[in-house]
Amino acid sequence: MADILFSRPHFIAFIILFLLGMYIMVVCLNLVKKLIGMYIMQTSIILFFITLAVKADSTIPIIMPSVSALTPEAYANPLPHVLMLTAIVVGVSTLGVSLAMVLALYRQYNTLEEDQILGKVK
Amino acid sequence: MTSSLPGFLFAIPFFAAIVIPVVGFTNQKLCRPIALGALLFLSIVSVIALSEVVSHGPLSHEFGGWAPPIGIEWVIDGLSGLLMVAISVVSFIALVLAGPLVEKELSGRVIPFYSLSLLLITALGGMVLAGDLFNLFVFLEIGSLASYVLVGVAGGRSLLSAFRYLILGTIGASLYLLGVGYFYAETGTLNMADMALRLPEVLDSRAVLTGLIFIVLGLAIKMGLFPLHGWLPDAYTYAPNSSTPLLASVVTKVPLYAFVRIAFWVFGIDAVSTQIPILVVLGWIGAVAAIVGAYLAIWQENFKRMLAYSSVSSMGLFMLGFSLGTETGFAGALFYVLADTLMKAALFGVAGAAIYQCGASTVTDLAQLRRNMPWVLAALLVSALSMVGIPPTAGFFGKWHLVVGALEAENYFAVVAILVSSMLTALYFFRMFQRMWVEPLPKPEPLVLETPLPIRMGLGILTFGIVALGLGGDLVMGLFFESVIPKGF
Repeated sequence: MADILFSRPHFIAFIILFLLGMYIMVVCLNLVKKLIGMYIMQTSIILFFITLAVKADSTIPIIMPSVSALTPEAYANPLPHVLMLTAIVVGVSTLGVSLAMVLALYRQYNTLEEDQILGKVK
Repeated sequence: MTSSLPGFLFAIPFFAAIVIPVVGFTNQKLCRPIALGALLFLSIVSVIALSEVVSHGPLSHEFGGWAPPIGIEWVIDGLSGLLMVAISVVSFIALVLAGPLVEKELSGRVIPFYSLSLLLITALGGMVLAGDLFNLFVFLEIGSLASYVLVGVAGGRSLLSAFRYLILGTIGASLYLLGVGYFYAETGTLNMADMALRLPEVLDSRAVLTGLIFIVLGLAIKMGLFPLHGWLPDAYTYAPNSSTPLLASVVTKVPLYAFVRIAFWVFGIDAVSTQIPILVVLGWIGAVAAIVGAYLAIWQENFKRMLAYSSVSSMGLFMLGFSLGTETGFAGALFYVLADTLMKAALFGVAGAAIYQCGASTVTDLAQLRRNMPWVLAALLVSALSMVGIPPTAGFFGKWHLVVGALEAENYFAVVAILVSSMLTALYFFRMFQRMWVEPLPKPEPLVLETPLPIRMGLGILTFGIVALGLGGDLVMGLFFESVIPKGF
């Protein structure tokens, strides 16, 4: 089990980033820090997908004269890259909406700490 | 013409969502007619699509001239056609009903309200029509973004609930996307029909199991399944009254649809009930959710909060029904989903109307409705009786089939869970009626007038729909057995 993990260090990086992001989202009371955690978590998934596309001794998926176009094993898989392009857009729009909400909350309650906002609500 | 129907179903609300801010910039009064017109048109087109599917079989639309396993595909079959009709019709009524509420609550934000509502409906439609798992994710996120903003659009307390909804919703979407990554790594495809062909070979791999768990967890957060319902009560309680009928009726049902699609069409009933027995686990969770949700609802003083917990309970019942593993159970759960869209729209509409007309937000305050608001009161009565499950309403018919399905599966625990949750539901609604009729009104009696015409119309149609769905239950069930239920039971 451990050998499998150590032969694939990108999975370790992905797991650490994902859990770190989730930890920040759950533990930090500052709303902007929560969003930082959210973005780290989303980015870790992008890393996961991109590493799925990598093959040994392959190049970027653009047909070049030096490599024959008919050998798919010579190119990295382009599909995960394209999917993640969309996922980045989704992540950025989520971040935009959430920052707008944080701004509106700050204007209303003059603080970014969740416990202080809750205190002012009641 | 007919093969481009899925494209039409997407284009109508999408273009309306773009046109509304442009036109509303010069004349704000035009927003509402455009939104309602688009939704009426959408309802008609989706009814046509459903009848087309029932008579000629599923329709598929491919984009950019690439054939399905490689290209992007949109499919309408019986289930998605049915859901599309439910979404478009109920959201049309919910927006009719919302008119006076929007003017009162969100007077400066009429344009964003209508534009976002249509964007939400576009995304829900897209989720229902999507033929591959990644498109489903994109529409899931578009729809969620629109609903976060619809929860928080009024500002104040609702913003904090919207922010929490956003944080939890994003965790859900990330887990779903991660699960899709596992499936893609294992099967090399994202198209649902193609994946259904390739999955049986790799069903015993741990990657598929992990991926399925991530997907179910992610969707469970989005649909508010107990114990992951944390965002739901606050979001429904503090969201503006104009948007709760729309949010509560359709938004959580579509992630449920996504789960049903993946479990029963991509994996197949055999795989999820025997090889990876996830239905057994979800059945238990559903039973607990149905009982605990109803129990928590009893203790709520705020009417909208009570309804929110009742939504948690209903979600448990749907999950329980789908995981029974019998045809009748599946059909009963689907019928109850349709009934619940109507009931929740009506109940949250009543809650909105009560706050609009006399500021009655608690269960005790609702007593004020009993004198001069016969329309609102009738809607409240019929939908409450339907929630409890009293014939001839739609709720009775749905619960009846759930119980029959559970008996067929010889799952007596499920039968007990359905009956107990119905009794608890009866308890909180009858407690409300007791306060409304038995206890005396405060003196002097407040003078309360009947609500404006759009609210009465909306509630009237919903009430009529609940009774009609109950009376025409056999017809609808016939349709289910003929062209909606998956093969292999």
